[in-house]
Amino acid sequence: MAGEGRDILLPLLIPALCLTAWYVVSETGLVPVYLMPHPETILHAGAGYIFGMPGEGAYAGRFLNNFAASLTRVLLGFALATALGVPLGLLSGRITLVNRLVSATVNGLRAVPGICWLPLAMIWFGIGIKTTVFLVAMAAFFPIYLNTLTGARLAPPIYMQAGAMLGVSRLRGVFAILIPLAMPNIIAGLRLGLGISWAYLVLGELTGVPDGLRAVIMDARMLGRIDIIVVGILLIAVIGRICDRLLFLAMRLCFKSAGRQLR
Amino acid sequence: MTSNIVQIPGQVGRTDRPFLEVSDVSHAFAWEGDGKAVLCNISFTVAEGELVCLLGRSGCGKSTLLNILAGFFVPTSGRCLLQGKPISGPGPDRCVVFQEDALFPWLTLRENIAFALKSGDLSGKKPVGEVDRFLDLVGLDGYGDYLPREISGGMKQRVALARVLIRSPRILLMDEPFGALDAQSREASQELLQDLWRQRAQTILFVTHDVQEAVTLADRVLIFGQDSGTIQEELVIALERPRDRASELFQAYCRRLRQGLR
Repeated sequence: MAGEGRDILLPLLIPALCLTAWYVVSETGLVPVYLMPHPETILHAGAGYIFGMPGEGAYAGRFLNNFAASLTRVLLGFALATALGVPLGLLSGRITLVNRLVSATVNGLRAVPGICWLPLAMIWFGIGIKTTVFLVAMAAFFPIYLNTLTGARLAPPIYMQAGAMLGVSRLRGVFAILIPLAMPNIIAGLRLGLGISWAYLVLGELTGVPDGLRAVIMDARMLGRIDIIVVGILLIAVIGRICDRLLFLAMRLCFKSAGRQLR
Repeated sequence: MTSNIVQIPGQVGRTDRPFLEVSDVSHAFAWEGDGKAVLCNISFTVAEGELVCLLGRSGCGKSTLLNILAGFFVPTSGRCLLQGKPISGPGPDRCVVFQEDALFPWLTLRENIAFALKSGDLSGKKPVGEVDRFLDLVGLDGYGDYLPREISGGMKQRVALARVLIRSPRILLMDEPFGALDAQSREASQELLQDLWRQRAQTILFVTHDVQEAVTLADRVLIFGQDSGTIQEELVIALERPRDRASELFQAYCRRLRQGLR
């Protein structure tokens, strides 16, 4: 029981310390408010942004809309990256010919920083959801692809042999044996990919879209609302963390191999 | 003592057409620069219901031969026939129990055995109750919900045995399955295997480097040469079962096989 309590409290220790330090420097006036607002100001701004009624203030009640817009972009981009990255990673990991074919191209593209795609994406897709989804998918693809590839390549051949001698067809072998074996790496890739998705969302929403969590930060910067900027940053951190947990739990729920393998 | 040993190559349970026929099989791994053959013109037969041991030191090619019969390797030359049909690729008529633990680590013991049922032509034919019957058969009733990492090496090999027996393979290929076990587990596993072999009239080809194991289990032992990649000798073990390891004759057979290995 004591262990359980510790497991819940321990992750909160560092955030709690940071918050205390922030409170102290704000109360004592060590840091002026135009650089870092008082935590209570942030709390009020955050409460207004999340729970407020539209019209109460400049940013009141806009959270849900912004959140929905950002989440849609992230999930679409992430889904696209997964749909491409996992199958291609599995193929490259198992079939040398496929790996030869794609690895040079993939690694070449990987060297291009995501921000380089921004001007091109804007010309191709215009300002809006398509550009963001493209940028997110582009960035999330690489960790998903590379980790899946590693997992598929490291899958011990004895399990495929065991499957083959039990009469498992090649296609079923991929789903029943190869994917479970590669699962720890696939999960690592998906978690990295999802994290990067949130990071590249920021890039996509730089470009003058009206709604979204990052768009609101850019908007607040221009209006000098530093409290809203901090609220936006904190919200992205919290939401990113929750998404990571949800992804992990969903994988455990959907795949036996995700929960039972400790590698 | 050696005079008591009957030495009639391949006379046990012979029928007109051999159950398993290996003729002139040679194998060389392509990546070996000099192309030195691992197997050199191997020929032998196994009768239905027979338990044959392939005995040899490590590196003699006995596992390679088993992999060829399992369909994992294609031999450089020669042919293998099971009930008159050539072997091509792995299949559930020739199930393998591997030396290493090859249970799927993300499945419980019950799911591991059920996996075999869901595969290939058997899919959905046998009721799930069969799984528990086979767990029971290898003495693991009550362990169905355990994961492989939660049980001992000896238990894992018993699950591996149940997983292939449920497929009712025509021939069971065993690649030093008890080699990594402690002495007690090994003896218990050997006893279990003999029981199952008798009950089910299962044809078994069993690879081992352990002379005692060969004398305990085999109807007939094929002795591999050290470097030649050939079968040096074939010896029928004409001992009553269950075999008494302490008996003079048992020891005589062991001595005889050790000589053959030199």
